[in-house]
Amino acid sequence: MNTFLKNITPDSLSGIIFALEGVKRSLVILNGPTGCKFYNAATSDSQVIRQREFDPLNFPPVWYFGQPRVPCTYLDNADYVYGSEEKLTEVLEYMRDNVSFDVVAIVNSPGASLIGDDIRGIAESVLGKGKPLVTLETPGFSSDVCHGHETACLELLKQVPPKTGQSVIPKTVNILGLSLFQKNYMGDVLEIKRLMELCGIEVNCFLCGSGSMDEVSKIPSAALNVVIHPEYGMQTADYLERTYGTPYYVCPGPPIGYKATEKMMLDLCNALGCNSAAFLEDSERKRARSYVFVSRVNSFTGMPKAVPYSIEGTCSELYAYIGFLTGYFGMVPVCASVLSEQSSVFHDKLVEMLGNLGFPHALERDILDTKADLVFGSGNTIAALKLKGMRFSGIETSLPTIGYYNVVPKTYLGTNGALLLTELVLNGLMY
Amino acid sequence: MRRIAVYGKGGIGKSTISANLSAAFAKSGRSVLQIGCDPKHDSTRFLLHGLRLTTVLDYMRVTKPLDYKLDDILARGYLGIGCVEAGGPKPGVGCAGRGIISTFELLDQFKLKDNYDITIYDVLGDVVCGGFAVPIRREYADTILIVTSGEFMALYAANNILRGIRNYDGSEKRVAGIVYNQRNVEGEDERVERFAKAVDLPIFAKVPRSDAFTRAEHDNMTAMEQGTSPAICSIFTEMAATLQGDCPLYEAKPLTDEELEQTVLGTNIQSQRAANDEMGEATVISKAAVPEEVDVANPNRYLSKNMVRSEPRHGCAFNGAMSSAVHIKDAVILAHSPKSCAYITYQSVSSTGRRKLFERGALLPVALSPNIDCTEMGQPEIVFGGMEKLESKVRLIKQQRPKAIVIVSACPAGIIGDDIDRMKELSEPGMPIVPIKADGNMSGDFQQGLFLSYLSLARNLIRKDVDEVPGTVNIVAEKALVTNAQQNYELMSGFLDRMGVKVNCRFIYDTTTEALQNFCTAELNLPAYSDYTAKTLRRFFEDEYGSKFYDRGFPIGYDETCTWLREIGDYFGKPDVAEQIIDDNKQSYQQAVEELKPILSGKKLMVITFNSGLDWILKTALDIGMKIVKIGALDYSQDEGFRSRLGVDLPVELEYNPANRDSDLKKYKPDVLLANYSSSVSNGVPVSDTIPMCPDVGFESGLVLARRWARLIQMSAKGEWEQDEHLFEKYYA
Repeated sequence: MNTFLKNITPDSLSGIIFALEGVKRSLVILNGPTGCKFYNAATSDSQVIRQREFDPLNFPPVWYFGQPRVPCTYLDNADYVYGSEEKLTEVLEYMRDNVSFDVVAIVNSPGASLIGDDIRGIAESVLGKGKPLVTLETPGFSSDVCHGHETACLELLKQVPPKTGQSVIPKTVNILGLSLFQKNYMGDVLEIKRLMELCGIEVNCFLCGSGSMDEVSKIPSAALNVVIHPEYGMQTADYLERTYGTPYYVCPGPPIGYKATEKMMLDLCNALGCNSAAFLEDSERKRARSYVFVSRVNSFTGMPKAVPYSIEGTCSELYAYIGFLTGYFGMVPVCASVLSEQSSVFHDKLVEMLGNLGFPHALERDILDTKADLVFGSGNTIAALKLKGMRFSGIETSLPTIGYYNVVPKTYLGTNGALLLTELVLNGLMY
Repeated sequence: MRRIAVYGKGGIGKSTISANLSAAFAKSGRSVLQIGCDPKHDSTRFLLHGLRLTTVLDYMRVTKPLDYKLDDILARGYLGIGCVEAGGPKPGVGCAGRGIISTFELLDQFKLKDNYDITIYDVLGDVVCGGFAVPIRREYADTILIVTSGEFMALYAANNILRGIRNYDGSEKRVAGIVYNQRNVEGEDERVERFAKAVDLPIFAKVPRSDAFTRAEHDNMTAMEQGTSPAICSIFTEMAATLQGDCPLYEAKPLTDEELEQTVLGTNIQSQRAANDEMGEATVISKAAVPEEVDVANPNRYLSKNMVRSEPRHGCAFNGAMSSAVHIKDAVILAHSPKSCAYITYQSVSSTGRRKLFERGALLPVALSPNIDCTEMGQPEIVFGGMEKLESKVRLIKQQRPKAIVIVSACPAGIIGDDIDRMKELSEPGMPIVPIKADGNMSGDFQQGLFLSYLSLARNLIRKDVDEVPGTVNIVAEKALVTNAQQNYELMSGFLDRMGVKVNCRFIYDTTTEALQNFCTAELNLPAYSDYTAKTLRRFFEDEYGSKFYDRGFPIGYDETCTWLREIGDYFGKPDVAEQIIDDNKQSYQQAVEELKPILSGKKLMVITFNSGLDWILKTALDIGMKIVKIGALDYSQDEGFRSRLGVDLPVELEYNPANRDSDLKKYKPDVLLANYSSSVSNGVPVSDTIPMCPDVGFESGLVLARRWARLIQMSAKGEWEQDEHLFEKYYA
């Protein structure tokens, strides 16, 4: 039997919830049934640990259903007919009186969006007008997770608008396009912050990527917006430029590998008038350490050059990974499988790059039918390939994971990420 | 028996016409049922002399499913006319169309319409969504009357209704004609006549504007009942007579908007207009579905615990149905849903597979590569209906030649009224199509979804005409999403194998369409659990297939395992083999108990648990000499109560209030606290440990835990990590 549903990623509903869960001290209420809650709440909880144990008795109010994140209104038949006002009012009253938060977000499930309740009006009648409140009436049926992320970011900025006319602070940036759906979310935040600090750049706001509402409120004061994952941040950057006049820089794919990271940091230093010396030294030291390990393995195996690998990701992720894995290690991309295809930013660049590298057919192959020594993908893809009896080493680059607990925050971004990927590639080689 | 749907624009007089028509039928000696399908719920008011009924939707909102009684929603009006009002939300909120669907589902359960000669559905406005189209569907109305005046908006609505009928019927003939309810506006007669001619329908009746209606309604009755206007009465009497006779029916031939405007404005168009292909746009299936032979969604029969108690729905039926059906390995399970629903199910199904691969390198085929597909409903399907996309997806899947296709609907499909049952018509020999109308969580919670899946798959696939094969069993009610299901099965099938007993079908876990079809060949059915799900399934199979069931679930712990083996051994005539297996394990169990006694004997054990049965732990604890001081049984969404076969008094507190946890710990001072989740509240307890929700089966289950307690009690260190909680609070919380 074939696997029918291929390369499935969550849709816009999850993208919205994850983006809003990415705001520090946010309270995200799902106006919908519990079936839409459990996965999203569990993913948020595992990606950003905010409580110490799983004991459901610690979350007794009915809306939590034993999970610490994303309370929901548990809509049922009657609510679809009569509307959700009663239940929404109930949960909001409880939260208003018992939970501390900086912003409330109410997200309609696909079903709830069909009944057309005035969820903002209901919320305002409970919380009062003027409280930070974001409501998303339509979850974007079946559009992709990136679209959901951008929708939520934009609505946050529009419904809780930062003041215009703020003074611009030199050498500050906002980071756009990080989502807790990205596998190494917290490690990525730490690495981006570290790289910026090496160059004397201050991160003003990680928008929907661990930043607080205080950071959101001063978003116009940054000198530059930096889009790390274009699929998750281009529209937001464009909106911020139109609304507040902040210019933006789109990374040539997320900064994966030495070359991409160096380009991003040098571009930013040039744009902001910062000194890149400390960063360059950091990069050199990590290049040196990578070099010696790759060189030693290469000296007795000839690898990793010409090792075939498959990879899945968004177009910009594929562009960045392939740039590093092929450009740096000399490995061969036999399959490049696009996730979240609707967000096709970077598609043309990816096609062009694969053509230039001599592997134009990599995009046409099915990752589950392609033989490769290394597979960069989600736990699901790696597991499905194992089931097919394929011999390969799997390197998890996207959710869900197979189950490994990452106690040490990890990242594939920046120079630390390049070092980690070097380690994983060398340990994954089969000889 | 005739079932008549009366459609028309809001305020056009449908209710007046419906009520008078009902009265006319009743006067002619027929038993009549009138169902008002309008949120303002006044269709039957004048049949009931002004009495306002409790609407079906209001009733369902406050009544538990098992308490539903027909008399609570059905009233008898003039001449015994049965009166029902669907009701609905106040204007501007909720979804009235969905309300109609829910109402009809309940009325179906009562088989109400079967008790009357005539049923009249009085339906709001034009066909604005799938919900209001429900009475048009073939199983409800065989005759349609369209009420209109000569005003443009009324004619526009009438034309829309014809479009709705066309979508469901294609060129089938169900329309009796137009009921022209006169408003006395200028040029009205000509407009209505032109419209009727253009759509090729007769004017079935012309009802003049008359004070007779006003006078009667002032007295809270119908004009037919009051009888002051013979002319009006004769119109309705004649209508009823025609409808009871060999009334000709016509095909719906709606106009395009342009044609309608031309017609209403008086431009001549040809009377015999060819059927407009464009108007048949959504006619993806040539005929409406035949009625379900068996109402699988009937919740009065096989309800989840959550539904019985009307508790908040824990998870959704869609996910439950998908998670179960996916275990038919050679079928494709098609989610008629937005992508998120399919993705979430994919994650819950695959999580056990990923975990087993990570922990033990085990490869579970269903969990790692589930045959799930999805229609990926988007905005267009949500607004315009998803049946076309569903059909094209089904046709695409059929090209892969799976052994079966199972379609499960999510909330949006249910709310907009997509009728997935119609897909059964695409079945072909060797490739049945089984729709499961979960409608997200609208049919219930996760467990209700399991029941829907079990029942639908059984009724659509299991053959009753197969011969029993001696020495074979089915395994029933394994849990699809637990990580030890396969290893438990392997242990138990190993025992069975030693007794020469073969497993015929696992219902439903890691199985095939053919194995399901041959379910009835098994001599005996062995439930994997003795919980609510297993008991419900047993009731179903005993009631509908006469299946024979063994009483106990898979055994957990030493005593249960001995009993299970002896009884199964006796049943299949292999008591010696059973005793041999027990002997192989007896000595090691007793030895382990003796070794643990010096450490655990006399220790106090307190338990707070979602599990409804814990004999496997309690028996071992008692064997070792521990004292059980308290068992707090928490409310669990998929089971109820707390059961024990130990035959000793146990200090059980049902529906345990978690708020009492701290005070009970102080009161009982247990040496060992067991709970499903370890918690920092147990910091003062010498040993706290967790209980698996679904423990491993076999002799060792209780011992495994007891050995851990012994190690924990013997060990002086608790783990320094526990002292760093404040640091977590400082830096991360």
